[in-house]
Amino acid sequence: MQWIDWLEERTALPGIWRRFVDHPVPGGPRMRNVLPAVLVYLVVQQMVLGVLLAAHYSPSATDAWASTAYLNDRLDSGWFIRGLHHYGTSALILTAIAYLVQLAVTREYGKPRELVWISTLGLLLVTMVLGMTGNILPWDEQGYWAAQVELGIVEQTPGGEALRAVVQGGAEAGNLTLTRIYAAHAFLLPLLAVALVVGIVVLGRRAEAREAEASAKVQTFGAGQLLVDMLAMLLVAGALVATTVQTHGSELYAPADPTSGFQARPEWYFLFLYKLRMFFEGPLEPVATMVIPGAMGAFLVAAPFLDAMAGRVGRIGVLGGLGLLLAGVVALTAVSISSDAGNESYQKALAQAHKEAERARGFASEGVLPEGGPAVFQNDPEYKVRALYVEHCQNCHELDGFGGEEAPALTEYGNREWLFALVRDPNAKRFFGGTKHRDMDAYPEVAGNDEQTAISDEQLHALVEYLWQLQGEPDVDATLATQGKALWDDELDCNNCHEVDGKSEGSGPNLLGHGSVAWVARVIRDSSKPELFGQEAQMPKFGDDKLSDEQLADLAAFIVRQRGAEVTAEAAAEAAAAATKAAQAKDGANDGATEAKAPEPDDEAEPDDEAEPEPDE
Amino acid sequence: MAQGEPRDEDESRRKFMLAGAGVLGACVAGITAAPALSMLTHPLRTPTTSGSDAFIPAGKLAQFEGTVPIKVDLYADKVDAWNRVVQVKIGSAWVMQHEDKLVAMSTVCPHLGCAIDFDAEGGKFVCPCHDSYFSLDGAVETGPSPRGMDALEVQTQGELVAIRYQRFRQGTETKEPV
Ligand code: FES
Repeated sequence: MQWIDWLEERTALPGIWRRFVDHPVPGGPRMRNVLPAVLVYLVVQQMVLGVLLAAHYSPSATDAWASTAYLNDRLDSGWFIRGLHHYGTSALILTAIAYLVQLAVTREYGKPRELVWISTLGLLLVTMVLGMTGNILPWDEQGYWAAQVELGIVEQTPGGEALRAVVQGGAEAGNLTLTRIYAAHAFLLPLLAVALVVGIVVLGRRAEAREAEASAKVQTFGAGQLLVDMLAMLLVAGALVATTVQTHGSELYAPADPTSGFQARPEWYFLFLYKLRMFFEGPLEPVATMVIPGAMGAFLVAAPFLDAMAGRVGRIGVLGGLGLLLAGVVALTAVSISSDAGNESYQKALAQAHKEAERARGFASEGVLPEGGPAVFQNDPEYKVRALYVEHCQNCHELDGFGGEEAPALTEYGNREWLFALVRDPNAKRFFGGTKHRDMDAYPEVAGNDEQTAISDEQLHALVEYLWQLQGEPDVDATLATQGKALWDDELDCNNCHEVDGKSEGSGPNLLGHGSVAWVARVIRDSSKPELFGQEAQMPKFGDDKLSDEQLADLAAFIVRQRGAEVTAEAAAEAAAAATKAAQAKDGANDGATEAKAPEPDDEAEPDDEAEPEPDE
Repeated sequence: MAQGEPRDEDESRRKFMLAGAGVLGACVAGITAAPALSMLTHPLRTPTTSGSDAFIPAGKLAQFEGTVPIKVDLYADKVDAWNRVVQVKIGSAWVMQHEDKLVAMSTVCPHLGCAIDFDAEGGKFVCPCHDSYFSLDGAVETGPSPRGMDALEVQTQGELVAIRYQRFRQGTETKEPV
């Protein structure tokens, strides 16, 4: 073929290919020869997947999480690519270990394959570091906290403080940490991995060619082994795909939060070191983080040489040592996994972390503010309404310990305890003490002066139950409420000041549906309506130029929720629309307008009929 | 090497093996290639950025009394892949009274997208990149621009002027939104 000659003359590539497929394989095609090929496959696949991920990832402390969430949850097939890349690391580690075991057991790690053995060890180490650095890149809780731990270990080495600052790019983890780790993960370490895997293959083939000369049964690589290799790759690929699909890719936790105390666990291939550390506390810690791993590494590198040096005893000793080492690692890993599985508080925290992750990723679909990963929670409607509250209400109304004292506190606004305390002493700081409203008397247990009426706790509970009923709550003790109504109407004459029909004005607010979302919305829009606080009202009006109907609905629902009441979005929206209409209606045009603003207590609230007032007996 | 002369039988077996390996290799590669293709072509199917296509307030009506074009910057919320950005500059427009009507034209040159300037002395618009000149009503006078300046929709809302900002395909004779 002409083009082959053409290419040969210029590049020598066809010759290289021919030598590649005509390479002699002693013993013919065999499954036991496939592991180096699988290593090559995995390294190449990891690089391709890595490039794809790099094409959609942004290594900065503010963008890393958001871009990872985007590529994982929004981009077509993104989760699959990321998952495959994640599990690819595990596959690479397992394959490297399998190859090491094979080399040791068959004693092939001896002359002339010592460097194949060492290259495989190197590839294993590089892959583990790739896994560690890759784990950090999403800058989620797992990545951030794992980085803290790993950098902490770095810091323990001699001169570690400086080393940590260099790796981390400063005194604290941040943008430079990510750019540096990214550069290592995406450029430096892959180069090393490629060099090592090339070493494994080329050096291995050299040894093979030598062995083929002495072998009776030889076949070319292309005549069989290549196919077997491909078959093995396909098997591994199938397993990777199955794992990825089954787990739906790799988890992405909530964005890094330096205050969360997330319990990070390293990837499974570091668990043995993690567990080992627990046996060496305090000043002994470096034994687990450095001395033992260092000794392990040295022994592994030296193994083929020791084996060759000491004859039969050496063989048994080295194999025993390797076996013990492997068993130890497996045992520690198993112990670590099972103790976590049995650790209830850890499992709880993990479940919580998964939930938080789901929440964050849900919010991320709207886009994350440029402030960075944790800003994703600003997409939370709860956050938005809190921001509204802080902007408009907090100056006067206290909530959960923050805010002014010029107006009633809204912590647990309108729950039974709140109502109870309000009737006992409406002029307390918590209620109207900071306002001009002084019209309502206190109802203490023991009357302090003639003007006050004393009521017992028992009576007050009944009264509160009646107020609870007026509020339109679903769980009313009807008998108690009836007693309360009697007190209200007769003994205490509350109805002298407070109407309860939802429209008539009195010297105090009309209390039908007080504290409901409809009522709160109307108070926010205009509390000076005659059936609310009337001329006395001090609270500024929040017209639709200040709060849109939507915002009003959110805010009113937020306030009502402070007592744990459930408010549906539709109810809140309806309430806001009604409040806007009511506020726009002229004060004077009473009848028609006020009809519209009568609050609608929850339909399910059974007591409505009873509460439905026959005004002014 | 211990191969001897390749016989025909060996040769065909070898070809078969290589072809088989090729097929399997293609399968292995496909596992990455297929999702890679779907990921890379995602922008062809789903928009990755979005801005507001609502009318954006550009200023008070009184600002645009004269026939001298005034450049206004338009700010809106925007989603850019993973980011949501609040009130960023998404573009600008030339606004003026023309034949007693308020008009707004995008500052993006229909040629290759440079920013069109106003030459107050000559009383015409000019794109400095490749010297396209436009008259006050936006029509091309000279230069490589394939069409006149792109008019934007304007609305007056009481005292306020609002503009709907859009981008249009460059280098085409007809004005098509992108
Ligand atoms: S971009 Fe305006 S003339 Fe070329």
